[in-house]
Amino acid sequence: MVIQAVHVPESAEAAVTYSARGAWIMGGGTVVMPLVNSGAAPATELVSLRRAGLGGVEVRDGVARIGAAATLAAVGEHPGLSFLRPALRTIASPTLRNQATVGGNLFVAQPYGDLAVCLLALDATCEIAGPDGRRDAPVADVLASGVGSGEVVVAVRAALPGPGVWHYHKAMRRRLNSAAIVTVAAVTRTADGVVTFSRIALGGVAPRPVRAVSAERLLRGRPLTHDVLTEAGEAAHGDIDPFDDAYASAWYRARVLPVHLRRALLP
Amino acid sequence: MTYRLAPIDTSTFAAERAAAAAGRGVDGGDFTVIGSVVQRSDARGHVTGRTEFFEDVLPPRLAHLKMHRSARHHARILDVDLTEALAVPGVLRILTHADIPNNLYTPLKLIGVGPDDEPILAVDKVRYLGEPICAVVAETEAAALEGAARIRVAYEDLPPVFDVEEALKEGAPLVNEYHGQNHFIYEGHHCRRIRFGDVAEAFARADHVFEWRYQSAPIEQAPAETTGCVVVPQADGRLRIHSDTQACFFTLDNTALILNTPFNKLRIVGGTVGGGFGGKVDVVVEPVACVAAMAADRPVRFVYDRAEEMQVSSPRAAERIYIKDAVMDDGRIIGRKATLYVDAGAYARHSPYGTTKAAAHLPGPYAIPNVWADCHCVFTNRTPSSAMRGFGVTIADFALESQMDRIARALDLDPLRLRLLNAYRDGDLKAHRKVAEGTALVEVIQKAAELAGHELPEAYRRMSSTTREGL
Amino acid sequence: MPSQIVSLVVNGERREFIAAPGVTLLASLRESLGLTAAKRGCAQGACGTCTVLVDGRPEVACLVAVETVAGRSVRTLEGVAAGGELDEVQNAFVDCFATQCGFCTAGMIMVAEALLDRDPDPSEADVVEAISGNVCRCTGYRPIVIAILEAARRRRGAVSR
Repeated sequence: MVIQAVHVPESAEAAVTYSARGAWIMGGGTVVMPLVNSGAAPATELVSLRRAGLGGVEVRDGVARIGAAATLAAVGEHPGLSFLRPALRTIASPTLRNQATVGGNLFVAQPYGDLAVCLLALDATCEIAGPDGRRDAPVADVLASGVGSGEVVVAVRAALPGPGVWHYHKAMRRRLNSAAIVTVAAVTRTADGVVTFSRIALGGVAPRPVRAVSAERLLRGRPLTHDVLTEAGEAAHGDIDPFDDAYASAWYRARVLPVHLRRALLP
Repeated sequence: MTYRLAPIDTSTFAAERAAAAAGRGVDGGDFTVIGSVVQRSDARGHVTGRTEFFEDVLPPRLAHLKMHRSARHHARILDVDLTEALAVPGVLRILTHADIPNNLYTPLKLIGVGPDDEPILAVDKVRYLGEPICAVVAETEAAALEGAARIRVAYEDLPPVFDVEEALKEGAPLVNEYHGQNHFIYEGHHCRRIRFGDVAEAFARADHVFEWRYQSAPIEQAPAETTGCVVVPQADGRLRIHSDTQACFFTLDNTALILNTPFNKLRIVGGTVGGGFGGKVDVVVEPVACVAAMAADRPVRFVYDRAEEMQVSSPRAAERIYIKDAVMDDGRIIGRKATLYVDAGAYARHSPYGTTKAAAHLPGPYAIPNVWADCHCVFTNRTPSSAMRGFGVTIADFALESQMDRIARALDLDPLRLRLLNAYRDGDLKAHRKVAEGTALVEVIQKAAELAGHELPEAYRRMSSTTREGL
Repeated sequence: MPSQIVSLVVNGERREFIAAPGVTLLASLRESLGLTAAKRGCAQGACGTCTVLVDGRPEVACLVAVETVAGRSVRTLEGVAAGGELDEVQNAFVDCFATQCGFCTAGMIMVAEALLDRDPDPSEADVVEAISGNVCRCTGYRPIVIAILEAARRRRGAVSR
């Protein structure tokens, strides 16, 4: 559709007002603008979050609060979020990371959106503003079913993983700037040599980021060995719904998933 | 500085060098260019952003053209409804096939290759996904896109054919009626043929016969700058065409034929190409942009978006190649039979020429006394394929050299020695009846073996392109 | 909503122009301001030929709706060779044969400028990562990586001298 207006509100509330009137929300523009440029925009009005005061990144008392319009670059540069830096460097190019936003990453179609996979593994909470006020929702719910009409994700909150429990690995066609074949992000705790807790999120293997609950269940109480992780990776086949695209076939994604799940947790 | 200069062999052109040194150089030449750093003449323009590409030309009142394309691989067009599209604010004109003065062409007609087989805008049928049907001219690119999206075409689906061998079978759907059959006809023959010696006799007396099949996919050139042009009507009635074509005169002549206008009514400004690699040789954007500029009496820009560049600009053809070889125990190849299919897609473009190149390239750079080749240029309901860096030859080379490696493996021979044994030498008669001269395959293999630390026996190191030594 | 007047600081100068809704920064630079060094290669953010610096950071201008950056500072290749004198990056691109068709050059140079502004002594891996969003179909990238490292060397030399 031909764009009739681009709104650049100065507050989240104003953004909600435009959104409720049918304007399409745009974070950094890396997903919406290609549609605009090819005449395929889903609405005639856009609302940009660039100036809505949602760009902040704070880390306090072990909890990160990241504004929805914070760029991936801003997240990667924050000293309190250095554990995410390797993951962010697997996403697009440094140039695009100056534009793409955390909020936008929640709404892109796989095999893009590796940060959303990380946020799922961190069991993050989305702060949502809407016509009826503010509410919180688990990131898993937002990833699975989006937000309501007129609602805008304004921030994401997540508890920082302690030392040694965060794992991330992405299989891609090139070393840099390539979409996911398989992305694995996980928080895993062990005691006495066996897994006491794990939360594993997968990208590239379903239309949206998914939890590998079958693998999590299988790992509980067992050691992180080559064989156990391979078994967990096989079990994760029950959690995925892979697709064909220019990067890899569905068959290939499923076939290599156990390998990459193992490499994520057993470097 | 980090680039390297290879040492120059000053033993060549000794007399000329001496004359130049003595101030008696021929044509002012001093024989110092090779061996010294010469700056690219266009580099300063590139690094300052002042090089003018066609899309940098922004004449006043520029209008924009976007194409409505076929949503089907193979279908009859029952109806085209422009009503909604014409109602889009900013849409100036919508061109159909009826607006094109001479709506049928083939780029190679200029060198006598026919028949004309491709409509500029589809008439009653579409033959590939993305074939242009209507051209929307509008005040803005957004309006042109919206107009193109609102054109409604009613189709009657026809069975498509996507496989070259399927296309040649009895009863296959007919892709291109202008040819009348699903292959190009070469001087009355169903394919481009090579007949040299007697392959049947060679197969009968060979120690080994090997036959394998090779298949390639189409390859998109993917230039950084997409295909496009800006056409500016001039006060004197002529059209100035700013284009990124790789073939300015080809474009000028073909466009004039399509417009039914004398050649001197057109002027091409070109030569600055943001990457071409063969993908900008077909004449696909200029003719319709010229018609649009005349109809709207305004400058018109028609440039592919990235999706069009990937989907409808002509790629390197997919090829399927069967090679059957008659080989002796010592590795000598005494007969080679090749059946090669070039997937031209729905229209000829440069594929008849590419297929001829493939035939002339067989049996590769080897002296094989008995050669039989059938090279088919086949029409299917795929995107028309055309030129790309060594088209016709590159995929054949992939097949031929894979074949050589497989023979070496099967006979437990050194693959380099197998090639040296069969490599052509100066004076060999090639299968297409040209005498080989200036050959250097033997020396190149010897040098490559040396650089790679691959040991060759003395007899193979003494071989030469200019003698029969070791054969 | 009608077209609006947008103001940017482009290469150090305040510029105003009229922008239709949804027009990109790239189209504004090229068609409203006549600054055509940044190229449209894909209009999807995939090729990097339109890269310019927004407040000093590289962004692909084709994905920036121009209203969203109103008032901000934009640097294009036209702003690099101030007064016609090539800078170290431009000179290195010429000397190291880092250009061929020239279509990716503007984006490559702007990324290199931003990289060297931030890190005067980048490693080869840093350079490769910095240009990972810029497609070059002609050179195979090697001469470009060499040129950027050479530019860094020259710029450091100029500073220490």
